Amino acid sequence: MTLRKAVLLEGAKDALAAPAAVLFAGMLGFGAMGKANGLDMWVTSAASFFMFALPGQVVLLEMVILGASGVAIAMAVTLTATRFFTMCLTLFPQFPEKHRSRYYYLLVHFMAMSSWAVAMKDFPKIDPDKRLSYYTGFALVCWGVSTPGTVLGYLIAGEVPTYLNLGLVFINPLFFLLTFTEVKPRGNRIAIVIGAISGPLVYLWQPNYALLICGLVGGSMAYVIDKHLRNRHLA
Amino acid sequence: MLETTQLSHLFQDAGVWSALILACIGTYFWRGLGVYFSGKISQDGELFKWLSAVTYAMVAALTVRIILLPVGLLGSVPLIVRLIVSGLALAVMVSSPKKRMVPALLTGTISLVLYGLLVS
Repeated sequence: MTLRKAVLLEGAKDALAAPAAVLFAGMLGFGAMGKANGLDMWVTSAASFFMFALPGQVVLLEMVILGASGVAIAMAVTLTATRFFTMCLTLFPQFPEKHRSRYYYLLVHFMAMSSWAVAMKDFPKIDPDKRLSYYTGFALVCWGVSTPGTVLGYLIAGEVPTYLNLGLVFINPLFFLLTFTEVKPRGNRIAIVIGAISGPLVYLWQPNYALLICGLVGGSMAYVIDKHLRNRHLA
Repeated sequence: MLETTQLSHLFQDAGVWSALILACIGTYFWRGLGVYFSGKISQDGELFKWLSAVTYAMVAALTVRIILLPVGLLGSVPLIVRLIVSGLALAVMVSSPKKRMVPALLTGTISLVLYGLLVS
């Protein structure tokens, strides 16, 4: 496996445009949240470094504050991370098969919802041979800004007024919400609508399993509707 | 007395760290498993289409849940404010067929910060 430096840098540059800034702000917010809730700085920043999944990190933080048991915390976080499984299943097949190597097991740690969303949108426009180098640069920048962001957020937590903190914790979910408007395939658009409606409702009923239920049931419904529409179009 | 407090702190820290380590392993488990099985999937197949729909349903469910039923700081903002701010940002985003991500993000974030400033 060889990575092309020029393409890698191009990916890194594109990441700096918006996704990395959004992640950085989100991690600033997370660091500040850790400090405000009396968590150790090492725990807070290690979460960004080793877990690198903001929704899971927030769940971890909330449950630690509530005094939940380690096993309960690990289970809840692991369940919110289920999305990474299907994110991988839809991202990695887009790299040419000849590029497949053990390196994927390292690269996958740097995958975030933001870099995945951008890859899903932009890969069709990128030469398949360049995708792995591009994604490496892109994802590494996103991951690279996260731990410094968390540490900085932790350190300046006392100095930042609450109203600014509000912006920091809101920018990440807002970014995801906005990326949904750029999704093109019809099946995926239907899935987003079903997921958006069912997500909060199912969460009220089954907070731990909400993502799994919404994903499997809602996604399958969207797939079936899309397939039905495709077949009708052909007939 | 002091010693028992220190001891309980130590246990508390150990509990937090073990929760963190287990949670990180759990998160990486899905990533690694995904890489492992990704070699068996073709990006042109029906399976890929279904998995994409499942993933988008999941991330949409998560995103909207965070906005409508947030835990932590965002929960201190009334639901109607969160809805209006999200609506404004979405409106800016779709107002032009070109890329509007940065103006839309700024619209949403700044209006929420302004709200926070007003009530503080």
